[in-house]
Amino acid sequence: MNSMVVKALVLAGVLIVGTLVVVKQMHIDLSDPVNMITFLGAIAIATLAFGVAAKYMQQMKTDTATGELAEENWDGIGEYKNELPAGWAYSFLGVMIWAVWYFLWGFPLNAYSQIGEYNKEVKAYNAKFEEVHKNASPEVLKEMGESIFLVQCAPCHGETGDGLSGKAQDFTKRFTKEQVLAVIKNGQYQLKYPMGDQMKGGMVQGKDAEAVAEYIANGMKGDAPAAWGTCAGCHGQDGKGNGGTAPNLVDYDEPLVQHVLANGKTGIIGHMPAFPGRFTPVQEKALAAYLQTLKQ
Amino acid sequence: MFHWLEKNPFLFSVGVFIVIAFAGLIEILPNFAEAARPIKGLKPYTVLELAGKEVYKKDNCIACHSQLIRPFKSETDRYGKYSLSGEYAYDRPFLWGSKRTGPDLHRVGNYRTPDWHANHMWDPKSVVPDSIMPAYKHQFKNVADLETAYAEAVTVKNVFNTPYGDEIQPGKEAYEKYLKEKALPEALEIAKKMKNKEVLEMVQKGQIPEIVAMIAYLDRLK
Repeated sequence: MNSMVVKALVLAGVLIVGTLVVVKQMHIDLSDPVNMITFLGAIAIATLAFGVAAKYMQQMKTDTATGELAEENWDGIGEYKNELPAGWAYSFLGVMIWAVWYFLWGFPLNAYSQIGEYNKEVKAYNAKFEEVHKNASPEVLKEMGESIFLVQCAPCHGETGDGLSGKAQDFTKRFTKEQVLAVIKNGQYQLKYPMGDQMKGGMVQGKDAEAVAEYIANGMKGDAPAAWGTCAGCHGQDGKGNGGTAPNLVDYDEPLVQHVLANGKTGIIGHMPAFPGRFTPVQEKALAAYLQTLKQ
Repeated sequence: MFHWLEKNPFLFSVGVFIVIAFAGLIEILPNFAEAARPIKGLKPYTVLELAGKEVYKKDNCIACHSQLIRPFKSETDRYGKYSLSGEYAYDRPFLWGSKRTGPDLHRVGNYRTPDWHANHMWDPKSVVPDSIMPAYKHQFKNVADLETAYAEAVTVKNVFNTPYGDEIQPGKEAYEKYLKEKALPEALEIAKKMKNKEVLEMVQKGQIPEIVAMIAYLDRLK
C-alpha cells in the first residue's frame, strides 16, 4: 500500500471521526432512521471522495500512454483508438430500441390523456358511490340532498327552498292555487310521464276548477270536490300519481324530481332549465328525500 | 463515416434541428391544429351576444369569474361537462380568466334563466344571500353598443373567415337592416323573459340596454 492511499484513508477517517464528534456534541439521535441514513451518507461521501481522488492522483503519477493512435491528429495532438465504454454503448442501444417502441406503439397508442384519466376516475368514483349508497339510510339521503340542494338548487329556489318570494317554485308547499288553475286551464305535458299527453287544457272549468285548485293547493285535506274525480283518474284518488305514472300532486317524490330534472319545466312562475345527466340516481333520490322535509 | 456532415455546417444544423424538434413536430403540432378548429355545431356569436361580451369585458367580469371547466370530477359535478378548446374557436379574445372569486361561467346558460340573471345583476344578494358580488344596476340603463359589435362581426368575418353567412355585410344600411330584423327580435325575446317593465319598454322603443346583451351572452354560454 503506497503512501498516497494511506494519506487518503487517514483524511477520510479524520473526516468521519469529526462528523461523529459533531453528531455526538449536538446530541443527534442516531436511532432515528433519517438521521442514521444521513450519517451513513456522510461517511460514504467522505470515503468515496478521498478514494477516487487518491486513485486518479496515483494514476497521473504512474500511468504511461499505451495503445494505438487514430489516424487524425490536430496540430500534432492525436487521440487513441479506444473501445466504446460498455455502459454507454448499451444505453445507446437501449434508447434506440425504446425509440422504435415509442414511435410505433408508445406515443400513437399509449399516450397519456387527461380526459382518459378523468373518465377512469369518474367511472371508478361513481361505481363506488352507487355501491356505498345503494341502501343509504333516510338520514344520509337527507343530508346528501341538502348538500346538493345548497349548491345546485339554492341560487334559484333559495337556501330555505321557499322560491325567493315567487322567483321560483316554493318547496314549502306543493302548489299555489294560481299554479293549479294555470295547469287546469292550459294543460300540461312537459314532464313526459308514462301516462302520456292526457292533461289537456280545460278538462275542468269554472267553479269546479276553482274548487279543485283550492283543494289541491291546500294539500288535499278535507272532502274532495265533485270535480276531483276527473283528476283522480290519472293522478290517483290520493293524488299521489298512481305509483309514478302521473305527477304526484301532494309530495315532491322521486319520479317527480327525476322528470323535472330530465325535462325542465315552464310554468307561470317562469322557466326551469333541464339538468340531464347531472345527478346520479342516488342523488336524485336524495334530492327528493330532502325536498320532502322542506314541505310544511 | 459522417465526415461529409461535419464539412457541411448548414446541413448539419438543419439535421440537428429536425432531430431535436421531431417530438414537438409529431406530438404537438397535429394536436394543436385539431384542437384549434371549432367543435361540431358551434355557431359564431350573434351581434347581440358580441355586444354582451363587450359588456362582460368592460365591467371586468373576468376579474372574478373564469370560463374554463377543467376535467376534474369536483368541477364537472358543479359546472357540467369539461371545456374543450374547440368551443372557444370564435372567442376573440377568449375569456378564460384565472381567478375564481365567483363561480365558473362557461356553462352558465345551461342552468340559469334570463329573469334570474336580471334579479342577480340588479341585486346579487336577493338571490344569493352570501354573495359578495357588487350590483350592476347601470347595465339596466346604459344602452349596449351594437354598432361596434356589428363592426366586430364584419371584421372577424372578413379577417378570420368566421362563418356568418350573408346576413353580416359591411355598410350602414346592412347594419340597420340586421338590427331591425335580427338583433331587436332577439333582444325582445330576452326582455320578455326578464319580467322588467322598463327594460321591455326600452327594447320596444328600439334601444337595447346592456343587461339584455349581457344576458344574451351569458345564456349563450352552454
